[in-house]
Amino acid sequence: MTGAARKPYPVCPVAELPAGQRRIVTIEGKSIGVFNVDGRYFALRNRCPHRGAPLCEGQVVDFVTATKPYTWETQRPGEVIRCPWHSWEFDLTTGRSLCFPDTIRTTSYPAGASSAVESEKIDTYMVTDLQGMVVVWL
Amino acid sequence: MSRIPESSPPVATTVRWRAVDTDVHHQLRDISDLRPYLSRYDWQRLDEYGMPRNSNLYQANGGFRGARADCFGAGNNVDPRTRLDLFQEKLLDGCGIDAAILQGEYTPAVMALADIDFAASLCRALNDWTLAEWVGRDSRFRLALTIPIQDPALAVKEIHRLGGHPAVVAVYAVCGSPRLYGQRYYDPVYAACSDHGLAFALHFSNEGIGMNPAPTAGGHPSYYAETYLLRPQFYQAHLSSLLFEGTFEKFPQLKVALLESGFGWVPAFRWRADATWKSLRAQTPWVKRPPSEYIRKHVRFATQPFEDPEPAAALASVLDGMNADETLMFSSDFPHWDFDPPDAIARRLPAGIRDRVMFETALETYPKLSR
Repeated sequence: MTGAARKPYPVCPVAELPAGQRRIVTIEGKSIGVFNVDGRYFALRNRCPHRGAPLCEGQVVDFVTATKPYTWETQRPGEVIRCPWHSWEFDLTTGRSLCFPDTIRTTSYPAGASSAVESEKIDTYMVTDLQGMVVVWL
Repeated sequence: MSRIPESSPPVATTVRWRAVDTDVHHQLRDISDLRPYLSRYDWQRLDEYGMPRNSNLYQANGGFRGARADCFGAGNNVDPRTRLDLFQEKLLDGCGIDAAILQGEYTPAVMALADIDFAASLCRALNDWTLAEWVGRDSRFRLALTIPIQDPALAVKEIHRLGGHPAVVAVYAVCGSPRLYGQRYYDPVYAACSDHGLAFALHFSNEGIGMNPAPTAGGHPSYYAETYLLRPQFYQAHLSSLLFEGTFEKFPQLKVALLESGFGWVPAFRWRADATWKSLRAQTPWVKRPPSEYIRKHVRFATQPFEDPEPAAALASVLDGMNADETLMFSSDFPHWDFDPPDAIARRLPAGIRDRVMFETALETYPKLSR
């Protein structure tokens, strides 16, 4: 999809989507989650490739990592979405799975894919502040 | 004066490997075998009270007293586990085994002993006796060290004492344990294994004994058949612990051999472990890779008791699902009653992985074997 072909879809006034909040909207028949992560906007398809859950209704969390056993370190506050079914984690800013470290796909998952586990990236969409409105571009 | 043989035993000069047997079981003829290897005091108490037993309950087994009934030619009171000549005749020569790794029949009882210093004395004596009387008499034998794993500091001392011996290829522990083996309490043992290039060989026994949890996850079964059938539970529990505690992140050279665990469960365990990790990764973030990848790299399974899947074609999918070309190693369990001979096992394997299973993976898992 080229930028020229994209169309803007208003979501809400900027003031109604403060940092740490989300909105779930339906655009062109697609359910899409729109997130404000500390002043930056992100949008991704509200469907988990694993079991079809409403991914964007999951918990927004930090990325937990470790440099060695028995240590816990949080990074990238609020940039991870944890699916409400089975807790698969995705990078909210890119749509990439955090569970398949070496097999990230850049193509979107095909509708009705027979092997959902092979699809590890959620479709993402550009979001901008357009004259005081949060706008998703599809 | 060292009681260990001063010189290295001659290494078998096999031109081409045929089979490595990763699990055989020998035994003392009598406690007096240990007398030369014990201090005067330790010998006096062993002489007075006898060897520790690994059960205070009636303990059933299979076959005849747990062994092959056809191995009692010297009389019912001569335990075939005590007869080196029988190992040579029926296993090493008879079956064409180039190297057989001894996991002592005596080991479990010593590991269930609460008196850790006496346990450590017995371990030293048992290892020295085996190196002198078994390995010293036939270079095809190798030894998995008996260690007092109930006290890691003493266990580490024994690993460092003998870990450099050319015939010592592994450290032996049993599944019955007060703690799961991934817990950090045992880390010094894995560090010592890594220092000497020794595999950590885990074998059932001692479940439900002493301080150890029941012999099944649901409690104490009435019959030996149930204990036998349900053993994979223990291997799964320890394997899960090793994976999620990050043991293989801490000890990237460590190899763990699961002996007599069966292997039909491995593909399903891997699926479930990976699914669990995908969901709960953040709780143990040091587990960087799907568990199945650590298993492929670090964990090996022995063939005996070889499960004959039904329908027979299902064997191929089990072997495929566990990457058997990388993870499966032959074992006979000689002279136990559920012995598997190498020719019968080799015939069941696809030709493409036969050498891998019969000896190649063992040579990789126990790097000292081929030195």
